[in-house]
Amino acid sequence: MNFELDDDQIAILDAVGGLLDRHAGAARAIELAAKAEYDHALEAALCDAGFLGVALADETGSLEAALITESVARAGGVVAVAAAALIAPGLTGKNLPGPIAVARVDPSRPNRSAPIRFAGHARTLLVLDGEHARIVTLETGDAEPTASNYGYPMARLSRAAMERGDDLPVGSGARLARWWRLAIAVEAVGAMGAALDTTVEFVKNRRQFGRAIGSFQAVQHRLAECAVLVEGSRWLAYEAAYADSEQAGVGKDGVCEERAATAAAHATAAAGRVFAETHQLTGAMGFTREHDLHVWSMRLQALRVELDGVSGQRRAVALARWGRSH
Amino acid sequence: MEFHWSAEDSEFREELLRFMAEHLPDDWEEISKGGPGSDDQATFSREFCALLADRGWLTQSWPKEFGGKDASPWRHAILGEEMWAAGEPRGPQYMNVNWIGPTIMEYGSEEQKALHLPLISRGDVLWCQGFSEPEAGSDLVALRTLAIRDGDFYVVNGSKIWTSYVNHAQYCFLLVRTDPESKRHRGISILLVPMDLPGIEVREIPSVVGDRYFHEVFFSDVRVPVGCRLGPEHEGWNVVAYSLQYERVGAARYARAARMLDALAQYADECGLLDDPTTLEKLGEARAACEASRVLTYRVIDLRAHGSPPTADTNVARVAGTLAERAVADLAMEIYGRDGLEYGSFADSHFRLAMTAGVAVGTTEVNLNLVAGRFLGLPRDS
Ligand SMILES: Cc1cc2nc3c(=O)[nH]c(=O)nc-3n(C[C@H](O)[C@H](O)[C@H](O)COP(=O)(O)OP(=O)(O)OC[C@H]3O[C@@H](n4cnc5c(N)ncnc54)[C@H](O)[C@@H]3O)c2cc1C
Repeated sequence: MNFELDDDQIAILDAVGGLLDRHAGAARAIELAAKAEYDHALEAALCDAGFLGVALADETGSLEAALITESVARAGGVVAVAAAALIAPGLTGKNLPGPIAVARVDPSRPNRSAPIRFAGHARTLLVLDGEHARIVTLETGDAEPTASNYGYPMARLSRAAMERGDDLPVGSGARLARWWRLAIAVEAVGAMGAALDTTVEFVKNRRQFGRAIGSFQAVQHRLAECAVLVEGSRWLAYEAAYADSEQAGVGKDGVCEERAATAAAHATAAAGRVFAETHQLTGAMGFTREHDLHVWSMRLQALRVELDGVSGQRRAVALARWGRSH
Repeated sequence: MEFHWSAEDSEFREELLRFMAEHLPDDWEEISKGGPGSDDQATFSREFCALLADRGWLTQSWPKEFGGKDASPWRHAILGEEMWAAGEPRGPQYMNVNWIGPTIMEYGSEEQKALHLPLISRGDVLWCQGFSEPEAGSDLVALRTLAIRDGDFYVVNGSKIWTSYVNHAQYCFLLVRTDPESKRHRGISILLVPMDLPGIEVREIPSVVGDRYFHEVFFSDVRVPVGCRLGPEHEGWNVVAYSLQYERVGAARYARAARMLDALAQYADECGLLDDPTTLEKLGEARAACEASRVLTYRVIDLRAHGSPPTADTNVARVAGTLAERAVADLAMEIYGRDGLEYGSFADSHFRLAMTAGVAVGTTEVNLNLVAGRFLGLPRDS
């Protein structure tokens, strides 16, 4: 056991941090959101620097991919980094052409899907369809952009597009779900961390009744409780990302499945709490597009409802741990 | 970062589990329901800790010079995890190893070390912690119990409350005020008091948590030799602070909660409830809370393993631990329903042990204050 970053991980985080300082950040996210655009430049920069390939590289793995994904989420990057760096390599053992969107077939929607993050800009689509996963190359006309305030460019996909392409073998569905859950957890951890930091700064500076509002105990305890949830989510997510590595010795799918679902269940529940408290404690200012909070907070809602939402993540934990198939 | 156990640590855990399977009595499950301070558990702890001591496991994390093996904090954590998961067969003696021994090593005189450390290492001594008083709970430095110097003795008058394990204890780690004029952090000293001195009276405080859970201890002109003072006179607060860092994450309570949750899931399965989405959801939620508490505790152990001074990560872990225990206990009550109302039933036993988690060893609010100030850097006032 060792919870400290090693030198290589520190170097990776420094490098990706430098890149994100130049190419990402709340201001850029706000600018892109106004036009519902995707950050192709950021994706190209991340790809050129090799950050999207670390999951499969010799000296690195899914934990490093998770650390990078978290950093990009913290910086409000408008790129499908989780799908490129974590989910696609985890599912296929390869890097796939980006941008990549991830969707699940919903039998109750015969014509078109619910809004899907990045689907309007994606070239590759990973589809979860029961026991199977599919890889689809998207074509013009497959996606119909959806207006949304939830921090990511979104589009609905036609059912026909989602059914194109060949099924991967039985079990690929569970594998995709597992990596998808891990990705949700990691992205939520990044966004929650940034939302909490922004709010802590706000309450330290904002004064009412002659004192910083962050000195009121009622305010402090709520943020402290958020910190407990975010920290727990963060270490669960790292541990889940590591579970897949050879050294972990737990590379059995069952363990990885449980860990990923646990991280997602805890993080998405925390996301609801962090959303509510950060918006409450930043008052009216926190709702504006002028203040950065919404860059992360609104995304938390989008992450919370993916893959059957918090309750779905929790059921997945229970099934992975106690379900009869294991 | 590496989230896996070394081969040696895994082996140790396996060996420990085999040892427990062999040495825990058949009715252990029943015994363990009373908690570490119950008569049965306290008595059994002497037998069991002696066996642990024979194998060199009881105080393996202590330095070699004090009879330990310099084992890593992780090794000690594995021991604590498996002990708590099983309901703590070390009884109250977990405190000795976790914080009383280490505090004596740091601050004790040669005589104190020579007397107490071997007793603790042999696994045959029970201690209690005399900190809280009727007027000094969260605000511990409001304590009033007086110890006035009279030649080679301190004359102790006052009372302590909520003192766990005192009914079996041979020694009390007692916080007193040695300077009657002093206030707050100044003027406090620590006495290692033999409980058989004349003038000490113990009364049980009946509670809904369980029998013999809470006690009040009265000190009337108790003459304690000066040689029993641990650390400097009047400057005992630093010693307390030192001991508290060891105490706060001492007990791996999440491990017990996780074990109970597994048993609960098995019961739910037997009742056909694992097909019910709502039950699954609640089980998953509680499991996530236990796991979060585990990784946050590991974080604290890791900091210790790296030689870091104590940080507010400890308080983060404490709050998470309480959330986990509550989640499991509430769910146990919900799944067992009215059957959980019977005294001593599975749900009842677990619920009663969990209900104090947010108060014992520093309340949730006190921990949140520290997280806000030290972890988030929020201002005190102004
Ligand atoms: C099971 C159990 C075992 C125990 N064992 C021992 C033992 O062996 N030895 C021993 O010395 N003590 C023991 N205690 C006592 C324990 O340490 C105290 O109960 C604890 O420190 C709280 O003190 P209190 O009960 O007086 O509550 P109070 O301090 O009166 O607190 C009551 C409430 O007020 C809140 N509060 C207090 N101060 C603040 C603040 N500044 N900001 C916000 N809220 C605040 C508290 O969080 C709590 O919710 C035990 C307690 C329990 C429950």
